[in-house]
Amino acid sequence: MKFSTALFFLVNFGRLSAQAPDGALLFNQNCAACHQLDQMIVGPSLVEMRALYQDKPADFVKWAIAPQKKRPNAIEMPSMAHLGEPALLAIHGYIMKAAEGAKEKKAAAGDRFAGSPTQAVRPLVMRIFMPDAGPASIAVALDSRVSFCWDAGPCRLRYVWTGGFVDGYAYWRGNGHGLAKPLAPVRYTEASPLLGDVAARFRGYNLDPKGFPTFRYQLGALEVSESYLPLEKETGFTRKFTFAVPVTDALALTFPDVPEKAGVRSDAGSWSGKVLTLPAGTTSFTLTHVFP
Amino acid sequence: MIRPFAAAVVFLTGSLVAAPSLWEEYFEFEKIPMPQGVDPQIGGLDFLTDGRLAAVFHRGEAMIFDPKSKEWSLFGNGLQEPLGVVAEEDGSLVVMQRAELTRLRDVDGDGRADRYETLSADFGLTGNYHEFAFGPARGVDGHYYIALNVASNGASMRREIRGEFSEIGQLNREQMTEGQDWGKSAGKAGRMYSRVPWRGWVLRVASDGSKTEPWASGFRSPDGIGFDAKGRLLITDNQGDWRPTSPLYSVKQGGFHGHPASLVWEAGWDGRDPLRVPVTELAKRHHLPAGFFPQGELANSPTQPIVAAEGSVPESIVGQTLIGEMNQPTLVRVLDDEVGGVHQTGLVHFLDRSPLGNGNHRLAYGPDGSLYVGKTALSWAGNNGITRVKWKGKAMPLVASIQALSNGFEIGFSEPMDGASLGGVVIKRHTYHYHAGYGSPKVGEEAVKVNGAELREPTRLVLDCGPLKEGFLHLVDLSAVRTVGGKGLLGGKVWYHVVKAPVVK
Repeated sequence: MKFSTALFFLVNFGRLSAQAPDGALLFNQNCAACHQLDQMIVGPSLVEMRALYQDKPADFVKWAIAPQKKRPNAIEMPSMAHLGEPALLAIHGYIMKAAEGAKEKKAAAGDRFAGSPTQAVRPLVMRIFMPDAGPASIAVALDSRVSFCWDAGPCRLRYVWTGGFVDGYAYWRGNGHGLAKPLAPVRYTEASPLLGDVAARFRGYNLDPKGFPTFRYQLGALEVSESYLPLEKETGFTRKFTFAVPVTDALALTFPDVPEKAGVRSDAGSWSGKVLTLPAGTTSFTLTHVFP
Repeated sequence: MIRPFAAAVVFLTGSLVAAPSLWEEYFEFEKIPMPQGVDPQIGGLDFLTDGRLAAVFHRGEAMIFDPKSKEWSLFGNGLQEPLGVVAEEDGSLVVMQRAELTRLRDVDGDGRADRYETLSADFGLTGNYHEFAFGPARGVDGHYYIALNVASNGASMRREIRGEFSEIGQLNREQMTEGQDWGKSAGKAGRMYSRVPWRGWVLRVASDGSKTEPWASGFRSPDGIGFDAKGRLLITDNQGDWRPTSPLYSVKQGGFHGHPASLVWEAGWDGRDPLRVPVTELAKRHHLPAGFFPQGELANSPTQPIVAAEGSVPESIVGQTLIGEMNQPTLVRVLDDEVGGVHQTGLVHFLDRSPLGNGNHRLAYGPDGSLYVGKTALSWAGNNGITRVKWKGKAMPLVASIQALSNGFEIGFSEPMDGASLGGVVIKRHTYHYHAGYGSPKVGEEAVKVNGAELREPTRLVLDCGPLKEGFLHLVDLSAVRTVGGKGLLGGKVWYHVVKAPVVK
């Protein structure tokens, strides 16, 4: 404590008034942004702090001068050393008094906007942080059955799941300090880029009148568009690749498995094991992915 | 008429006079009905040329509100943390998302966006939650200006990132990446970090998306970006490391604006860890803020600047910049000054403690001169929804201007003032530490003796308080001053940052 006391003395030497610091004012100026009376927002409530620090002003000051990360789902508080010990003690006093008799409000159960009509739209193309993918990912709910993660960084499909879309609450609640969760297990993953590991540039996407997406991007010198439509009878989708100009060399696409096991078929090219070869001059081909 | 008096006596008087909340006499406040079931935190607002309001929401909706029918329609959806929107002449919306600047176009004219065009994704993402992206602001040059938050050591980077990783720093890529015991490493990452390109920078993006170029460095959490009436680019940033209190920058092209993390991306940077560059060297390069919002007293989380429109406020303050504030229940009004070519400002409360409340994040003027204020909290203190503020057309007592003089200030008022009340003027000043610590106490705080207070004209006050101190935030407290009609000022405290003091003759 010696160090902080000395520091405070230096800091306050030139101050105008010698009156006791006003705990309520200091709290409102320095703490209220993150601490509310009876509910955790960024940091714990006054009610909780009272439970932790009642009759322990020195511990409170110590924490406020050198806070650490304590709660896994909260961010670490910045040090309030610059306020000085007398001010922190005054804030402690205010918190103890303000929270006296108050009770912690129960956190609202779950996501108040889980039933949002704008989130229930199908199809839905939604940019959000997704697990096992890059930070520029897009989650797509094609229909009520099939969803996938398309990554606008490397410009490629990452994985597909069936049965429900995502829960984005962890992401929205924490301003990105959490990821969206697919509501069902992943059924298909493309661990490496189908069209090769080439520098990618995302151009954006179009939505057709029903809302189905076509992603537009550039791979090296190749302008590509990739359109998704759900299958009518089966669970799955078609995925049509179109090139702005015919490819000059044959393309070899490596899939995660042989077509029968991967659940993929193509309207062009020839298969050899996991590899689909499309001839030079190809301008377009369509893959069909089925999830029985 | 010069009125000498004892500063100490007046200090007491000044502190006892509470500014009355009289805004409702001059403005009407109306809450806009929000769309059913949508998380009503507003990331951006702008008016379309047809008089409808475009709003982007926390969870990714872009919606259009018709002020006549009071109905909302969904224009776009699925945007990621949009924090700004500009409506273009043809009805397209340009939206800043986390990962890119995007133009939403309605090509088939059915009222729904059908093309999402990437204008710029030419910056990095580590997946850290604090890498917010702000803007765009459209310049008179037709370009879009965007501002990128640095990452917070409240979290690591994700395994997959977008953009080149900078090796500069105490931790290597593996140590910066999720999956480690971050609590042990966090302290070495820098409170805020820039390990992928252009975090902490303002970028300029051609309106057709053909080019993205670095514009200025040194930012931390630049939520507010906009142009003033003279076409100067303004940025507000948040108190934190290297930010003693929230600053207002009048941005200098190519300039360094104080937060060093971004410097690693500067052309020709010598590879030093910015946190190990001597503070004196950083301070020398620092293009100083045109204004400071003292924490707690004026604003803690300043947001978007906007130019006060004709008919929306009394004539004497039309063309001034207004700035939002999330944390405190107020807006901030900017009083511009220029000394030796340096833009510096006085900042004053506006609509404080009025029905407007807090959470004030995004601002837009409707065709009728109403100010629409979009609110957000984003898990900090704040609010939600949209409040419309309409001036009733009546004059009100305001500080209209402030100018630094070689030995004091000249203050302009919106109406004649009572000379007998001038004894109540109080001036104080302080400076701050420029350092890696989070925030700064007031340093060198002192009362400034007012040697004279004289009305040169009924609306023009000259204060003699001796030479101004460069680098000091001067509080000119006019709370005790009255109009001829006996009214107090709406916003009586002016915090003026003296970057450059006029030369004493």
